This record gives sequence, C-alpha cells and structure tokens, in this order.
Amino acid sequence: MRALIRAVSGGAGGYVIAAFVTSLITGGSVSDGVPVTFGYIFALLGWLHGIGVWNAWAREWFGLPPKPDNAKGWTRYFTFSTDHKVIGSQYLVTFLVVFLVGGLMAMVIRLELAGTGEGFIDADTYNKVMSMHGILMVAVAVAAVLGSFGNYLVPLMIGADDMAFPRINALSFWLIPPVAISLLSAPLLGSFEAGWTAYPPLSVVAAGDGQLLFNMGVITFGLSSILGGLNIITTVATMRAPGMTWGRLPIFVWATFSASLLSLVITQFFAASLVLIHLDRVAGTTFFGAAGGGDALLYEHMFWFYSHPAVYIMVLPGFGVALEVITHFSRKPLFAYKAVVGAFLTIVGLSSLVWAHHMFTSGMAAYLHAPFMVLTEAISVPTGVIFLSAVGTMWRGKLWMQTPMLLAGGWVFNFLIGGITGLFLADVATDVQLHDSYFVVAHFHYTIIGGSIFGLLAAVFFWFPKITGRMYNETMGKIFAVWVSVALALVFIPMFWVGVNGMNRRVNDYQQDLETANNFISWMALLLGLSFVLFAVNLVWSALRGPKAPDNPWGASTLEWQVSSPPPEHNFPLLPEVVGHPYDYGVPDAQHAVVGGSAKSED
Amino acid sequence: MNRDWLKVGIIWAVLTALGEVAVVTWRMFPEGYTREYEVVDEAYILLMVLAVPVFMFMITMLTYSVIKFGSREQPTEDGPPMHGSNRVIVAWLVITSALTVGILINPGFVGLSDIRGEESSDMVIEVEGQRWSWKVTYDNGIVTTDELIVPVHTRIRFDITATDVLHSFWVPAFGTKIDAVPGRTTELYITTERTGTGEEDLNLRVQCAELCGLGHARMAMPVSVVGEAEFDAWVDEWLAAESAAAEEG
Amino acid sequence: MALAAPAAHARAEATYRPQANRLGLWLFFLSETFLFSAMISARFVTSGTDTPEHLNQPLALGITIVLLLSSISAYLSENAIAHDDRAGFIRYTRITIFLGLVFTAGVVLEWQEALADFPAGTIYGSAFFALIGLHAFHVVTGIMALGVVLNLGGKGHYGSEDYWPVEGTVKYWHLVDLMWVVIYPSLYLF
Ligand code: HEA
Ligand code: HEA
Ligand code: CUA
Ligand SMILES: [Cu+2]
Repeated sequence: MRALIRAVSGGAGGYVIAAFVTSLITGGSVSDGVPVTFGYIFALLGWLHGIGVWNAWAREWFGLPPKPDNAKGWTRYFTFSTDHKVIGSQYLVTFLVVFLVGGLMAMVIRLELAGTGEGFIDADTYNKVMSMHGILMVAVAVAAVLGSFGNYLVPLMIGADDMAFPRINALSFWLIPPVAISLLSAPLLGSFEAGWTAYPPLSVVAAGDGQLLFNMGVITFGLSSILGGLNIITTVATMRAPGMTWGRLPIFVWATFSASLLSLVITQFFAASLVLIHLDRVAGTTFFGAAGGGDALLYEHMFWFYSHPAVYIMVLPGFGVALEVITHFSRKPLFAYKAVVGAFLTIVGLSSLVWAHHMFTSGMAAYLHAPFMVLTEAISVPTGVIFLSAVGTMWRGKLWMQTPMLLAGGWVFNFLIGGITGLFLADVATDVQLHDSYFVVAHFHYTIIGGSIFGLLAAVFFWFPKITGRMYNETMGKIFAVWVSVALALVFIPMFWVGVNGMNRRVNDYQQDLETANNFISWMALLLGLSFVLFAVNLVWSALRGPKAPDNPWGASTLEWQVSSPPPEHNFPLLPEVVGHPYDYGVPDAQHAVVGGSAKSED
Repeated sequence: MNRDWLKVGIIWAVLTALGEVAVVTWRMFPEGYTREYEVVDEAYILLMVLAVPVFMFMITMLTYSVIKFGSREQPTEDGPPMHGSNRVIVAWLVITSALTVGILINPGFVGLSDIRGEESSDMVIEVEGQRWSWKVTYDNGIVTTDELIVPVHTRIRFDITATDVLHSFWVPAFGTKIDAVPGRTTELYITTERTGTGEEDLNLRVQCAELCGLGHARMAMPVSVVGEAEFDAWVDEWLAAESAAAEEG
Repeated sequence: MALAAPAAHARAEATYRPQANRLGLWLFFLSETFLFSAMISARFVTSGTDTPEHLNQPLALGITIVLLLSSISAYLSENAIAHDDRAGFIRYTRITIFLGLVFTAGVVLEWQEALADFPAGTIYGSAFFALIGLHAFHVVTGIMALGVVLNLGGKGHYGSEDYWPVEGTVKYWHLVDLMWVVIYPSLYLF
C-alpha cells in the first residue's frame, strides 16, 4: 500500500510541478498543450518511480543494490511485484473494473438512444461518453485476456517459473493505471469527442483538450502492449520445459504467442499516428491539416494499419480460450491442432494486409478497393479452421456442460454471427451502404463481445478455481451464461436491422421511424447490463466464501492443473518434464507431463 | 456414428431451407430510389443466401453436439481420440476457399463494377460539407443549403468536398456514400429511378455519416427525387426568383 | 539481469537468460523498426520527396559522419570489454558519448536554422521536425544508457564473461545509427 501511495503522490506531484514550470516558461496557461504534455510525462515518471521502478530496478543502473518490495499477502497486489501470477491477477481485476465502467457508459448511451430527440444528455456529452466507451472497451478487448491470463498461464502451461523479463512484466502492468486515470480524467480538460478512432482533422481542431490525454494515454497503453508482447514471445521461445516442443504447446499458448507477435510490431503504428495528431495539436505541425498541405487520409491508413490487426490481437486469445475449454470439456484431443496453429500464423500474416477495408468510402484511390476486398475475405478461410476445430472437437465427445463450456459454446455462436457479418462489410458493394451505419456497430459488438469478451468470461470461470483456490457457484454461473447470451442477441441483432434501415452510428438522435426498435434495444441493453451484476456477485462472493477448489476440478491435462490451486510461489517444485501432447484424451496410456517427480495420469 | 451424420444432415437441410425462404421473402432493405441501391440490395441478398448454409451448418453441429453428447454430470470416460484426419481438414479448406472465391466473384467483383457503373453523367452537382450543414451547387448555378432536389431517371455525379473536418455524404435511400475530405474532391455517381420526397421517406435525406462533432447527428437535409418536368419547373422558378431578387437589390 | 534467484527455482537462470536477453533485444529492435517506418512513410505520403531549398547540407553530412564514427567507437568499446580491456572500454565509451553529444549539438544547430526556413507549420517542416525529433530522442536515450554502462564499467562491473549490458547498449546504439542512415537520405537527399 505504501508503494501505491508513493506512486499516486509521485504522479500527482510530477504533473503539477512539470505543468506549472512549463507554463511559466511558455507563458501560457497550465491547461495548454505543452504544459499538459510535460505534466503527463512527468506524472508518468513520478508514478513509476513511486510504485517501485527506482527501488526494485533502476538503482542497479547506478551500482546501488536494488531494494525490491517484499510485501506478502494481499498487499503484494499494490506493489511492483514481479511474480507473473500477481501481475496476471492485477491485470484481470483492473480490466474487469474498466469493463464494468465502460459498460456503464454503454448504459448511458442506450438511455439517450431510447427515444428520439435530446433526451437524457446533450449532443456534446453524447459524443464524449460514446468516445470514452469505445476506447475503454477497446483497451479491455486488447489487453484483458492477453494481459491477465496470458501472464498468469503461459509460464505455468509451458513449465516455466516466471516470464522471461519479470520486471518488464511488472512495468507493463503499472503503465496501465495511469492510462485509465488519464482517460477517465480527460473530462477535466474538456474530454475527447472524436470517437475511439480519433480521426483528424476533428481530433486536431476539437475544442476539448482531453484529446491530449487521450493521445498520451493511448500511446502509453501501446507501450505496455508492446512490452507485454515482447515478454510473452521471449518466454515461449526460450523458457519451455524440457520436452515441451512447439508441437506440444497448449493451444492457448499458441494463441497468446500469435497475438503477441501482432502487438509487438503493429502497435507502433497506433503510437506513431497519435504522436502525429499530438504534434498537430500542440506543436503546430500540419500532417493532417489540408491548409498546410497535410492529408487526413494518411491518418486513416496509419491508424487502420494498427487497428485492423488489433482486432486479431483482441480475438486470438479468445480463440485460444475457447478451444482450450472445448477440448478439456469434451474430453477429446483438439481437432486439427496443427491446422489451427497454421491458421493462427496465417491470420497474423494476413491481418496486416487488409486495413483499408475500413476505408472503402474514405475517398482513397478506387483501384485499392478490389485488392483489399480480396485479402479481407481471404482471412475467413483461416478463421474458418478454428470453427472446424471447435465443432470437430465437440463431435462425439463427452461434453460436460459446465459454465465455461456453455460460454465456449456461446463463443462459437456469437463470433460466428460477427464473422459472417464481417463479410457483408468486406464486400465493397454492400459496404458503401453499410459503412458507418449501425450494421457496423452490430458487427463489431458481435465480434468483440462474441470473440473476445466471451473468451474472457469463459477463461474467468475456467481458471477461477486455479487462481483463487475456490469454486465459483455453478448455478449462478450457468444462469449467467444463458442470460448473457440471450440478452446479447436481443440487443445486437436488432441493431443490424436499424443499420440497414438507415441509422448511422455516433449520433445521439435519429429518425422517428426507428424509435420503437431503438427503445427495444435500450431495454434489452439494460437486461444485458444486469446480467453482469450476477456475474460480479458470483465472482466476488465465491472468491471470498466459495468452497475450496481441488487442484484439478475439471480433470484437465495441461500443466497448470498439475500444481496446487492456487499455484505455489515458484510454480513447480521440480522441473516438469513434458512427454506427450497436451490433449491426448482417450489415447490409452497417453501422458502430457511428469510433474513433481511423480507421474500424473491424464484424468 | 453414421446415424449422427444422417440426423445432422437432415436438420441442416431443413434449417437451411427455412433460412433461405426467410431470406428471400423477408427483404431486410427498405425501398430505394436508385440503380445503385438495387445493386446493394441484390448483393446483400446474395450474401445472405450464401451465408445461411454456413451459419446453419455450424449451428446444427453445435446444438446437436450439446444435446446429443452433452451431460450435466462429469463424464467418467474420455471421448474417442480423433485428432482430425487430413482428409477432413483439406475438404474443409477446399469448401471454405471455394465459397470465398465464390463471394469474391459475385457479389464481390460483379458488385464492385456494377456499383461504380460508367463514369459519365447527365448532371454534376457540387456538394460541400461544413460543420454542420450541406451546401449544394447545381451546374446551372443554383445554390441551396436546405434541400437536395434531383430529377428522376438521371445519372448524376456529385463532386464532394469539405471545408473543415471530415464529413460523409450519405443518402440512405440512394444506397451509397462517400466521405467529404478537406483538400480533396471525391466523386459519387448515382442513377435515380423512382420519385419520392424526404417527407414521405425519412431515408431520403442527406445524412452526414462521419463523426464531425457537436452537430453530426443533425447534419442532414431532405432529398426529393422529382419528375423531370417538375425539376425543370423548380429550376425555372428558382432562377426567376433569383433574377427578381437581383433586380430589386 | 534478474534478482537473486530463490533457492527452490526449478530451472537455473543461466540456462535461458542469455538467449532470452538477446531475443528480447532483437524483438525490441523489430518493433522500433516499425515505429520508424510509420514515421518515414508519413513523410513520403504527405510531401513525397520534396525538399526545400535552404537545407544545410554540409551540416547534415557532418553530423552523419560523426554518428557513423560513433558506431565504430561503440563497437570498439564492446570489443574491449569482451577482452577484459577495461581501460579501452572506458576510452571508447567516452569517445562514443562525446560523438553522440556532438551529433546532438549538430541537431540543435540544424533545428535553429530550420525553424527560420521551414517552420513546423509547413508540410516538409512537419516531417523534418517529427522525424529528426524522434531520432534525437533515441540518441539521447542511447547516450544515457552509455553513461550508465560507462559509470558501472568504471566501478569494475562487467568482464569478458558478463558484458551483456554493454553489448545490449552498443547494439542499441547501432540501431539508432542505422535509423539515421535511413532518415538522413529521406529528408536530405531526394
Ligand atoms: C474482435 C474484433 C473483430 C474481428 C475478429 C473482426 C473480424 C472481421 N471483420 Fe470486423 N470490425 C471490428 C472488429 C472485428 N472484426 C471493429 C471493432 C470494427 C469497426 C471499427 C470502427 O469503425 O469503429 C470492424 C469493422 C469492419 C469493417 C469495416 C466496416 C466499415 O466501417 O465500413 C469490415 C469490412 O470489411 C470488417 C470485416 C471483418 C471481417 C471480414 C472479419 C473476419 O475476420 C471474420 C472471419 C470469420 C468468419 C467469416 C466466420 C467463420 C468462418 C467460417 C465458419 C468459415 C466458412 C465461411 C466462409 C467461407 C464465408 N470489419
Ligand atoms: C469490448 C468492446 C465493447 C463492449 C464489451 C461493448 C459493450 C456494449 N456496447 Fe459498445 N462500443 C464499442 C466496444 C464495446 N462495446 C466500441 C469500440 C464502440 C465504438 C465507439 C466509437 O464509435 O468510437 C462502441 C459503440 C457502441 C454504441 C454505438 C454508439 C454510437 O455509435 O453512437 C452502442 C450503442 O448502442 C454501444 C452499446 C453497447 C452495449 C449496450 C454494450 C453492453 O454489452 C455492455 C454491457 C455491460 C455493462 C452494462 C457493464 C456491467 C454492469 C454493471 C456495472 C452493473 C450495472 C448495470 C446497470 C445499471 C444496468 N456501444
Ligand atoms: Cu458532418 Cu458528421
Ligand atoms: Cu478491420
């Protein structure tokens, strides 16, 4: 706790001093671009210094002995802890909270859209709430599974005792709270209103200086993703236990590995594009201003060069979770394992070649339409392989319909709808009409919620016993799984219809004839939101009061289930030895790994 | 096992048939006023028709597996160790690739060339987006900011630009849109085919479709597609009114 | 690199640490390359290969040569410590830092002139300041890292067996150099 207090005061102090000093130098107000920029940078440094980067790490650079914070018990979670399990839990709790906050903003959006006219909030507030909802949720989708379960499980699953760079790992987590704080405090400077995509010239000329915090917060978030990706790749490449060949990696490890490849390189484009926005806003450059010879389309290309692959950063870990859950709960080997790995890598390769499908109506050169349409649609073939694997694994299996499995089934159903409707947008002839309509909104909620959030939810229930050492409440879990799936359809299926009927996105008001449909959507959104109350109650209550979980409640084969729940501090008392495939259910005498000196049977 | 496949096959066939009937009878798109709108509508329906079997296959497999093989109790034994034979994987890849190539050809390329049509026009209209209104300039000099009136059975080219931030010129009932970009002129072709007014059909409106700040939602103006005689009358009236105003002033 | 290993560790750090460090560094470089390519493509997309008339070519060429020389001295310093030649290491690292500082001073001069001739509000100016600024930021962090290893090396850290921090820093310095080799022609020579 002391570290956290130091961090907060370091951050606040850094901001105030730097902003004040720079405003004296530039002779402007403290809320001008330059002071805010320097304020932010020093706030970030102050925060990191306070949380323990100096004590646990940077002291070494000056030949001083490091002083790591050896807090025990729950206070570890508020320190610069380098234990990947602590970091994974920090990520998980942080992003679940951000998800709930973002969800509450969705409720505000739906409240306003329940009727035509300016009902609940005015147009200005609407744009700001909508932009905040978008960016918070995108952050959740990008990092929630990768940061939490990626960190928690990858070392366990490959038989390592930590990540390759534990301190960089702690750094990537502790970069996140400043991002959340700066985004959420943007309203102090007038908020940001250009949507999560922050297209210029609007994001350059918009009055609210919250855009500055948006830029820097998102750049910081990008840095965290890059470092996180680097860490996961290195860990998987160099720290696998003996016998853990690439062909024996659990599929979740492959999924996080592929997503990490993307976030390592691609995120730089988001950072760069926001740096340019920031310079245009603060330093008077003219990258995007037509008057000075700049070009708004440059931003769109740079932004989507990141943000399309980013949707695969969001969804690949979801693929991993869904397939992982499906194999264990079907008690069958993962169907077409090698093809799935190939599909992941093909997706990684293709995903950075399709970005301009977001720009069919942007006015870019017409000869670009056909190639981007082809490449975009080509990506449905590798994605289809994942579906083949999912249903192939279930086929004739011994399905155990526990909550994680229900959610994995929901994943197949919902992501299928999202994916197929993606093809309607990839087709130029339909996209010119559907672009920027609610059809797109429905498409991406189905893909992100279906692919990424359902993965997150399934992962939460599946690994809950492992992480907390307690069982969640199965009845509540099942009710939640059914409730959330049904409510999701009731909210987002009608959105396809309103989109086709001429409602455009990012509006606080719309034509009269769509009021009934929107009103219905809003009520259903409330129903969807309430399902998460049940989710939260279940988790919090079970984490505190739930019955003790056995080490391997699901009888699963992978390594993380062969250690105690929660895992011991250094994961494995003895170096595990991997002797077979992870999912050889039903294969006589098959064995995945030898742990702790004694052989564990497959079930 | 063959039993399972047979049942899945039947359920799939029935669901697909039902889905196809639903797709072709219940047209999702409201009515439009241009040739381009029909291209969009047809492409959409074709995609739906092709999506239904894929969707139904996955749904059938999913629900059948859950109902037939699922249980509430923890299973006591493992399922059969099927790792997925190469035959199945290759067959799947071939089918999905073929489908992809199919939709790439039609509606993909076919739709792409249809929607573009020929680069010729009977009339050019300049449109300028500005926060938060549209300015329309006809080739005969008429300038309006409160409505867009176009003649029916005419191929029209819109030359679109913006003065401040990005906007997007979208008439939902015309079936196509393009962004208005500061410093650039973008082109949009449509061919009107049916008459109607913005009062009767709310989708006959120019709607800004790119977030442009405070007034984005209301950056709209009604559109009328009128008979050619009516259009000429409107032009004459407008020009007369203008010269009258010029004489007075 | 990491903290003292706890007793019950399942696997000795030494078995993977060198590999992990090296891979991590190269992945970081890969990522950096993307950052620089993003910025460089912004220059070509907005202003093509246009260059203004008033470019101080001699100055730019001068600092380019200085930076290239610094890569040589950086290489020599790594080589020295790899052979336990501490004095050589200190000498060459100092030279590298000095050359780095000369380069930075050159950039400051260059910027002062540029501000007058093509301010940031012009499209070439935008690219010029953004690209060189990004690069200069890397130079400055490189100098700081060199300073850290120089200080520690002077206190007797590192030797032929464990000079990874030196190696990493020098590789980083080479990367920064290489980036300049791309940025310089794209701003000055086309
Ligand atoms: C997790 C996130 C995620 C994922 C995975 C996807 C996946 C896909 N997306 Fe989506 N998309 C978004 C998130 C995502 N998208 C977001 C956030 C936006 C909006 C951004 C904004 O503007 O704010 C967007 C917008 C968007 C657009 C731009 C729309 C517009 O603004 O005009 C397009 C256009 O091509 C598109 C297409 C696709 C396609 C083709 C896929 C494919 O990858 C889908 C592939 C999957 C399948 C096809 C289903 C399974 C396959 C089979 C069962 C095999 C058999 C099938 C066939 C052969 C057809 N998406
Ligand atoms: C991970 C991604 C993610 C997720 C999960 C969601 C979840 C939801 N989203 Fe969002 N959304 C985006 C990503 C996401 N969204 C993005 C990227 C945009 C685009 C922004 C832009 O255009 O720039 C967007 C835009 C967007 C719009 C369009 C706004 C516009 O264009 O004008 C709408 C409109 O209905 C909407 C609705 C919803 C709803 C109802 C949910 C629901 O699923 C939320 C349910 C969750 C909760 C409600 C929270 C948990 C519950 C509690 C804390 C208990 C208390 C609850 C009650 C009081 C009921 N979202
Ligand atoms: Cu103009 Cu939105
Ligand atoms: Cu995309």
